[in-house]
Amino acid sequence: MATRRILYFTAEDHYLYRSQGSALELEAKFSGDDLGVSAFREHLRGQRRALYSVLADLAGEDFHEELIPYLRGSDRAAVIQRRLAQRYRDTRLAAALSLGQAASGERRNERLLLTSFTNTQQLAPWLDALEEAGARLSGVYSVPLLAPALAARLGVKGERALVVTATRAGLRQCYVDQNRLRFARLERTVEMVPQALAMFVRSETQRLLQYLVTLRALPREGAPVQVLVLAPPGQRALFEQALVSDGRLVFRSVDYADALKAVGLKSAPEGTAAEALYLHLAARKPPAEQFASREERRSFFIWQLQRGIVAAGALGFAACALYGGSRWLEVMNVRSQAAVQNREAQLAAQQYGRITATFPVTQTTTENMKVTVVEFSKLAEQSASPERSFVHVSRVLEEFPQMELDSLVWSVGRPGAGADKSKSAKQGEISVIVEISGRVNATQRNDYRAITGQVQRFAAALAGSGYRLLRTQLPFDVTSEGTLSGDIGTGPDTGEAPRFTIVVARRLP
Amino acid sequence: MNFTREELRKLATPLLVALAVLGAGAALIWSAGESLRDAQRTLAAAQAERKQNAERLTRIAEEEREVSQKLDVYQRLKSLNILGEERRLEWADAITRIRTQRELLDLRYRVERQQLLYSAVGKPANVDFFASTMKVDLALLHEEDLLRFLADLRESGNAFYSVKRCALTRTGQAATGTTITPRLRAECEIDLVTILDRASKQ
Repeated sequence: MATRRILYFTAEDHYLYRSQGSALELEAKFSGDDLGVSAFREHLRGQRRALYSVLADLAGEDFHEELIPYLRGSDRAAVIQRRLAQRYRDTRLAAALSLGQAASGERRNERLLLTSFTNTQQLAPWLDALEEAGARLSGVYSVPLLAPALAARLGVKGERALVVTATRAGLRQCYVDQNRLRFARLERTVEMVPQALAMFVRSETQRLLQYLVTLRALPREGAPVQVLVLAPPGQRALFEQALVSDGRLVFRSVDYADALKAVGLKSAPEGTAAEALYLHLAARKPPAEQFASREERRSFFIWQLQRGIVAAGALGFAACALYGGSRWLEVMNVRSQAAVQNREAQLAAQQYGRITATFPVTQTTTENMKVTVVEFSKLAEQSASPERSFVHVSRVLEEFPQMELDSLVWSVGRPGAGADKSKSAKQGEISVIVEISGRVNATQRNDYRAITGQVQRFAAALAGSGYRLLRTQLPFDVTSEGTLSGDIGTGPDTGEAPRFTIVVARRLP
Repeated sequence: MNFTREELRKLATPLLVALAVLGAGAALIWSAGESLRDAQRTLAAAQAERKQNAERLTRIAEEEREVSQKLDVYQRLKSLNILGEERRLEWADAITRIRTQRELLDLRYRVERQQLLYSAVGKPANVDFFASTMKVDLALLHEEDLLRFLADLRESGNAFYSVKRCALTRTGQAATGTTITPRLRAECEIDLVTILDRASKQ
């Protein structure tokens, strides 16, 4: 966490505190005159680029409520700037605090609390010194601006309350309504005993109440107002005894130690009073509203932007790392699954190896042995011997003694591959093909009908016992497409028997 | 909001740091994604191997039976010298022996150069089937001579004899009575198939 320095600015002396974590330390003290400014400039020389804020605890702080049209963006900023300029001669340290919407007829308005210091010149040299030193000014706050945050920390929840604290500057009274500052005043105090301080608190609170009623900031009649009084260390009991509640005011005293705990401040420098609480809040939980202009805070804004960019990068990296981490977990899970699968595969392979070791000894691998036998079996199935075909043809010939064979061509192949493709033949099937050429004896050569009949019967007889007829070439072309000629009874008989060709096939398994 | 050159210079370093950090994050995601894809591939391969091994283990009884059955055939192929390199001299011897034994009148043959029929995928090496086509011209007294010749050839081993074609024709020569005259001629084409198991231990 970055170290922040807060310049606590009072009418007399100014104190520079260093806030780190939940600790607050007094770093330096400067007088309110020119010597103090010079010393501050000198001090800043060794603190370049440090983070600074200013907490003013001054009596001359003006609060004025205004009503502006309900606007947003640059229009609202322009209206506010105009109202501030109308109200204050010097707007360098002026702020407008929104008090929320105000319904007035049909028009929506916004209530503002304009606030500034009646004498901004006392702050100017100190702010100039900061600017010249290149310090990062996060904001200029006043104690009243931090009062709502303190009230909330001390248990005030939205109701009207007066927060009364004793700081180095005096008795600070802040009127908070709905967690928003409405009014504040600082009454200078002198050294007094706790009893007297308590009585002073009571009388000043009643005076403030009267004033607020006069301003109509508080209703004349109504519920009692809670008064939150921060008692000095160890004086709570005494304060509770002195501050008796009545019909208009309900006092609640808070012990200083309890208040430190409530704001998260573990150690406060010795000698500090209630301002330690405001200083810590200004350092750690600064409110959005403050007095410094945008230009005065420019260096701080750039610093915030730098950190924001780096933080965005770191956030992006964290998101990537988170996503990447989840993917890596997935990777580890998948890898472990793969390792299990590999182990199981190895176990199965080892078991397989052990079992196959008991198999009969072969001269090759099991795989190759299988391939060899399977492929050889296929080859053998597609091979045949002519013997079976010869036997078949011989048997048929015995029934047809007038048939005389000239040639017999036995082959293994695909019937469709031949020149004459039979429609019935299934192409692609390996078959035994037998082509028989022969002559028809003991029949008149010119007896076409008898010869054709005998050849057709012979072919029909061959097409049996697993054989199918592929082609029959008759001695004469008796089809309508061919030419049929005859020379009956006049010419001499040449004696040559009519020739035929029959092709049959048997499919191999 | 406008920035001065000095302010932009101040913002440049954090911007570069943020970009570098984001780049590192993106690289982390990319590398995780790559590793995941790689691991998934490894897992798929391991699952496939485990499945294959498990299935093989389940089928082992069947495989044992199959191995013993196939081993008989394999050993028979080996003993017939069908498995192994070609033995052309043995083929020539066998044909000469058959011709003498069967008293064949005329026998001429020619064995063509060896050709690869096909190569079956095995493990660890392929099993190649080779064929050498033999053309045989025989003079026959009777068609039975051809069948006996083919049977004798098959019995002689040293190859698987796959008969592709046989053409039987009449010679047309008349018997003289003094000399034996062939009545038939046979022209055959026979594939002499041998198998080369490249994983076989000789």
